[in-house]
Amino acid sequence: MSNLKTTLTGYASYRGREGHYSFLLHRITGLGTALFLIIHILDTSFVYFLPDLYQHAINLYRSTLFGIAEVGLVFCVFFHGVNGLRVAFFDLIAPRLWSVPRQRFSTKITLLITLLMWVPASAIMLYNMLYHNFGWFGG
Amino acid sequence: MTTNTRTIEKPKPNFETKSWMFMRYSAVLLIPLVFGHLILQDVIVGVHRIDLDYVAMRWASIGWRIYDALLLAFAFAHGVNGIRQVLNDFIQSDQVRKIMHWGLFLLWLIVTAIGAIALIGGVRPIS
Ligand code: HEM
Ligand code: HEM
Ligand code: HEM
Repeated sequence: MSNLKTTLTGYASYRGREGHYSFLLHRITGLGTALFLIIHILDTSFVYFLPDLYQHAINLYRSTLFGIAEVGLVFCVFFHGVNGLRVAFFDLIAPRLWSVPRQRFSTKITLLITLLMWVPASAIMLYNMLYHNFGWFGG
Repeated sequence: MTTNTRTIEKPKPNFETKSWMFMRYSAVLLIPLVFGHLILQDVIVGVHRIDLDYVAMRWASIGWRIYDALLLAFAFAHGVNGIRQVLNDFIQSDQVRKIMHWGLFLLWLIVTAIGAIALIGGVRPIS
């Protein structure tokens, strides 16, 4: 139990600023996406194992609650992907370029790129949800 | 003048080193695969237009089946190995770690097998 406590208090109290937040966000978004993927592979496999139930599963995805969760999922995947590429770049291609100021700067760029991709994607998804679930825009 | 330098042989990469490399190499591949899939299915097509016929139509083309197979193989292996890395930070006992490794391996094997069978078997008609 003490291990759990030590690791978790480390997560909360370590003061690594940008690097610390991006580490935490990378973890949480990676775990969230992995959890979604387990469910997603199983629901997709219904098309073969339980085709009668596939539509039922998709109807869940169409609900407003899942619609909001999907906007979150897209953020998780975008941030995790862009940040992962940043990590892989500094580790594999240019470890010589690693410096604290550059880590801080590239973390901010990562967040900016994520938002630039996520905001329009969310707008489209939100539009779809309002159109189909609430009858807006003539839906 | 003599210098005291000592050359040490580079250690052979062990399992953890290889898994560290795998996370980074798969990352480069996952960008087009996962971003492409997510933007297409979730943003452009949208869940309101996805149903059995839609999947049947997509899997009628072998190209999309190969795409989905790559996604299944790399995204899920990357994700499960990532979960393993996170749990490793919380576990100190070798015995518990062993149980965790086997548990995650079985989870990966079973879910990947289910996904692969569906991908190969294709869409079956509603009875
Ligand atoms: C006793 C343990 C640790 C020591 C002595 C230590 C020390 C340092 C030092 C000296 C730096 C560079 C200075 C700076 O960023 O201002 C740094 C950066 C960093 N550390 Fe640690 N650290 C420790 C634990 C950790 C842990 C547990 C994490 C993960 C949660 C972590 C993640 C990072 C990251 C991501 C950076 C980059 C920070 C940035 O870009 O500003 N470190 N650490
Ligand atoms: C979109 C492209 C992706 C890229 C570029 C990417 C990149 C990375 C990289 C480089 C790491 C290693 C981080 C480290 O060791 O410090 C990592 C960790 C991880 N990834 Fe991904 N990844 C991607 C997609 C995914 C997906 C789809 C999932 C879920 C199924 C996922 C789940 C995880 C998890 C759980 C970790 C462990 C997090 C940690 O150790 O803190 N990733 N990712
Ligand atoms: C909510 C957003 C998503 C939607 C609406 C969606 C939709 C779909 C659909 C309709 C299929 C069936 C086959 C096809 O048409 O190609 C599929 C399969 C698949 N998707 Fe997604 N997807 C989403 C997110 C993701 C993410 C984020 C990942 C990866 C991390 C992913 C990984 C997969 C895999 C591996 C398969 C093949 C599953 C199997 O073989 O059983 N999907 N997806």
